[in-house]
Amino acid sequence: MKLTLHIWRQKSARDKGKFEEHLVDDVSPDMSFLEMLDVLNESLIHQGKEPFAYDHDCREGICGACSLTINGTPHGPEAATTTCQLHMRKFKNGDSIFIEPFRARAFPIIKDLVVDRSAFDRIIQVGGFISVGTNQPQDANALPVSKLKAELAMDAAACIGCGACAAACPNGASMLFVAAKVSQFALLPQGQPERKKRVVAMVEQMEKEGFGGCTNFYECEAVCPKQVSVRFIAMMNRDFLGATLTKE
Amino acid sequence: MNLDSKVPSGNIKEKWDKHRFEMKLINPANKRKYKIIVVGTGLAGASATASFGELGYQVETFTYNDSARRAHSIAAQGGINAAKNYPNDADSIWRLFYDTVKGGDFRSREANVYRLAQVSNNIIDQCVGQGVPFAREYGGLLDNRSFGGAQVSRTFYARGQTGQQLLLGAYSALMRQVGAKTVTLHTRKEMMDIVIINGQCRGIITRDLITGKIESHTADAVCLATGGYGNVFFLSTNAQACNVTATYRAYKKGAVFANPCYTQIHPTCIPVSGDHQSKLTLMSESLRNDGRIWVPKNKDDKRPPNQIPEEERDYYLERKYPSFGNLSPRDISSRAAKEVCDDGRGVSSTGYGVYLDFADAINRLGKNVIEERYGNLFEMYERIIGEDPYKTPMMIYPASHYTMGGLWVDYNLMSTIPGLHVLGEANFSDHGANRLGASALMQGLADGYFVIPYTIGHYLASNKFEKVSADHVEFRKAESDTNDKINKMISINGKKTPTQFHRELGKVMWEFVGMGRNEAGLKKALEKIPPIREEFWQNLTVTGEPGDFNIVLEKALRVADFLEFAEVLVWDALERDESCGAHFREEHQYPDGEAMRDDGKFCHVAAWEYQGVGNKPTRHIEPLEFHDVHLAVRSYK
Amino acid sequence: MSLFNWLKSSILSKVVMALTGVLLVAFVCGHTLGNMLIYLGKEEFNAYAQFLQSLGEILWLIRITLFLALILHIIAAIRVKFLNMASKPVKYQVRRYVKAKLTSRTMLWTGSMVLAFLAYHLLHFTIGVTNPKDFHVYEYYAPHNAYGVLPSGAIAKINEPNSKITQNLLDQFESQASKQVMKRHDVYKMVVLGFKNPWISLCYFIGVILLGFHLNHAIQSMFQTLGINHPKYDKCLRNFSPVLSTIIVICMISIPINILLGLTGGAL
Repeated sequence: MKLTLHIWRQKSARDKGKFEEHLVDDVSPDMSFLEMLDVLNESLIHQGKEPFAYDHDCREGICGACSLTINGTPHGPEAATTTCQLHMRKFKNGDSIFIEPFRARAFPIIKDLVVDRSAFDRIIQVGGFISVGTNQPQDANALPVSKLKAELAMDAAACIGCGACAAACPNGASMLFVAAKVSQFALLPQGQPERKKRVVAMVEQMEKEGFGGCTNFYECEAVCPKQVSVRFIAMMNRDFLGATLTKE
Repeated sequence: MNLDSKVPSGNIKEKWDKHRFEMKLINPANKRKYKIIVVGTGLAGASATASFGELGYQVETFTYNDSARRAHSIAAQGGINAAKNYPNDADSIWRLFYDTVKGGDFRSREANVYRLAQVSNNIIDQCVGQGVPFAREYGGLLDNRSFGGAQVSRTFYARGQTGQQLLLGAYSALMRQVGAKTVTLHTRKEMMDIVIINGQCRGIITRDLITGKIESHTADAVCLATGGYGNVFFLSTNAQACNVTATYRAYKKGAVFANPCYTQIHPTCIPVSGDHQSKLTLMSESLRNDGRIWVPKNKDDKRPPNQIPEEERDYYLERKYPSFGNLSPRDISSRAAKEVCDDGRGVSSTGYGVYLDFADAINRLGKNVIEERYGNLFEMYERIIGEDPYKTPMMIYPASHYTMGGLWVDYNLMSTIPGLHVLGEANFSDHGANRLGASALMQGLADGYFVIPYTIGHYLASNKFEKVSADHVEFRKAESDTNDKINKMISINGKKTPTQFHRELGKVMWEFVGMGRNEAGLKKALEKIPPIREEFWQNLTVTGEPGDFNIVLEKALRVADFLEFAEVLVWDALERDESCGAHFREEHQYPDGEAMRDDGKFCHVAAWEYQGVGNKPTRHIEPLEFHDVHLAVRSYK
Repeated sequence: MSLFNWLKSSILSKVVMALTGVLLVAFVCGHTLGNMLIYLGKEEFNAYAQFLQSLGEILWLIRITLFLALILHIIAAIRVKFLNMASKPVKYQVRRYVKAKLTSRTMLWTGSMVLAFLAYHLLHFTIGVTNPKDFHVYEYYAPHNAYGVLPSGAIAKINEPNSKITQNLLDQFESQASKQVMKRHDVYKMVVLGFKNPWISLCYFIGVILLGFHLNHAIQSMFQTLGINHPKYDKCLRNFSPVLSTIIVICMISIPINILLGLTGGAL
């Protein structure tokens, strides 16, 4: 099939970007979206032009490196799917596709479609962990965890840190990312000792990084490739309020 | 060269304890005077870095990804082994040790494997302590499942995302140390070279992938945890950026490379669909717990799978290996699939695929149970192929997946270059000629959490380190070598892209050095690789500037190393004139197609020493001795 | 901790918005229920209005509380809006929303318009600035304990539903009964006269529907922000929002409709 691509081109963080139009033909429906971009990039290199830079790595939807806002939706039109797992059979011959980087103040553009998501790492650094050193824990079965809670914790832990939540949020808020980590640990007995400290520290860092506030659009949940539920945001709100009112 | 494995003397059960006691210590206050560099933030790298940070060393860690959490350990699906024996099915450290040695077809170092089995239980405790949400039973205790190559249930899992959860556990420990400022994290920086001063590895050269800046970083010891080289086949289940550069550059600086021909082909991947393909997607081996593998009995049976009656199906694994059946080890399952496809009975549009059928399991257990166990894998399959595996059997085919070979290390995980340690998939140590399922995660974390933190202390305490700065002549030289190489690539202005060369190399490697190998084919590969490499240096095109975010240059640098490394791999495959584990030489097989080892000639590790590009490297030997597991024909019948 | 520390945190700003929202929604619900008394007739409706007026200080306390809640609600909304505008400095050139609805994306607009409507509503029915002629309507009535003091004809009148004590009757026994006969605001008449004007009705129509839009997102948002949820009841809580806001809208706009159609207040 033939497609018209409008791809964001931006030389560096300081430059002003713009869309560049490219026609691609010979797109096979079995290609993944990124393979389609690979083919375009190869042909650009052959023409002596610079290919479009975009983040990607595992190409099986788990590393969270791939991004792209495709026709106005982060990770494109298919629900519960990362860009690398999106296949061209979801598009029709003759379609126009707009490809933009993830946009949020906390995700500055590095080049073309590549953005800096290190803000997420810094949020984890202030509390997204359980303070247990190597070789300190007790036997793994010493603390039973109800199956329901373990499953819920796993639902939250499924987050791949891709940043689509903040990219999709009209407020540029990353509540879903933060809530997923906070809730994972809040649901497990191992996470209890640092529960209050963690939620306060992570939320404060989130705001310091320039992410917006939640106004419950639920756009984050809609685009989340791992379908992390906004229920975790409510859990985090409750934890945060409780912690703010009662922390030492 | 004398490859001294430094395995401690004594009873195998006591070696590690004895060694831990005998190793020298550094007092807590002095630890901060030592600086360690760790390259790679996968399971091994992140866990080692976090542990070093906790101990009080100054640590710097590097990843070419934008975050430490992206390392490809994240993609491991099925699980992690440990000898907890929670299901009470007679598992033990000894049995895990035995299964791993046997699974590796008696080509691994006994003492290392025993240590791995020993610390396996601590890993599970560690991960649970970190909040890894492993699957649980209704009583709240941990659940286990069985996995290829074992007759006990010893695999812990977190849905089909075990690697992700374990990596995020290690990543969180690492981030905690970064937050505590004991560790400095460098993202988007790729290692270009190591630097040796006075015989010790004293630092690395990196390229900043955003600015293109070449930088020097000094240290007292360096750990490479940079993963495997499966992408030498171009198509593999590895991530796009996975490469051999770090370990290959260390090899060029004198570290010997052990057993490069041990490359594992994973039996359950999604078949290739076309030339555009950039990678092959793995479906967890755990699927084989409930799925039954079959092909039509008759050649050219093009009926849809549901219309092929039971008696016209060949459940070839169950037929040939009745006691292990669909859970036979990876190498055996992969070759069996190749065999039936070469026989013309393969399915899928290309004829290179076999069915993995869940109909029986769904009837027996119900769709809910299957969905709970493999839901995300089924979804992934449906997204890629566009068919519903609850209704139509999946199609699978083997693909390059894991590389058992790697830089040679001794019992302390140190390479032949003093101070250069190698962890995880990047080293060769524990899996022999074949890795069992759910053992890679185990090894990565064992190395990072429970081995290197002790052995590196011993190295630092036993050696003197003169002060070096990044202005040292060796650093300057390594920097300018790297710059020269980059400038050369930019200046070629040829016609072919790095990916084209990579694909060409991959085709040669898959055809002649893939699942089945023979002398003629390997020799042909040795003829075909050098011209590709030569063309690369004459006809490469790299767009853009070196001092910029340049994805073409990034790729070219990696492909250049694959083009040199591939030959080492082929040499090893050629010289190892036996079949063992994943290395299958067609000349050496039993009448039923099983791998035939030659313990008289090849019961050793082959480690290769660099002798210049295009020259045959020198082969060194570390003999393998088996005191506690007796050499036997590996049988899964 | 200073009184306005919460403004620094987006989550706490939202909590303030939610808590003040609880008060405002409670008020809207009470107001709706009260308004429904109009269908019981003039006597009940006016008695209810009179009861509210009779609360005196308590009424003022409620008014002040609601006013403060409204102010805090607005401050929090503006605060969150500014923060959020700053967090998304560059907008997408092409945008396709998946779950964000028109109602959730227009909260600030519906909120502002509801605020304007509220101002008009207060000026119209509470302070009586916009339509003073319709506003200053009164009726006379006798309290129930006035039996026996009044002439027999008047008693009969009082016992009738919708009884009115005319000026004429009042004159008849002014000397003896003046203390028992009272004058009160004829809210019923005021409402009916107001809504007889189709323009005013239209205005209320729009105002109430905007309020409905606002509440449709606001009520479930309130639960989400305060963290009130449970997998078992999530669906229930989310559906509660459109159901309640629809009920409120239907009840509220039924009054002008019925009056315009002459089904209510036709007799006056």
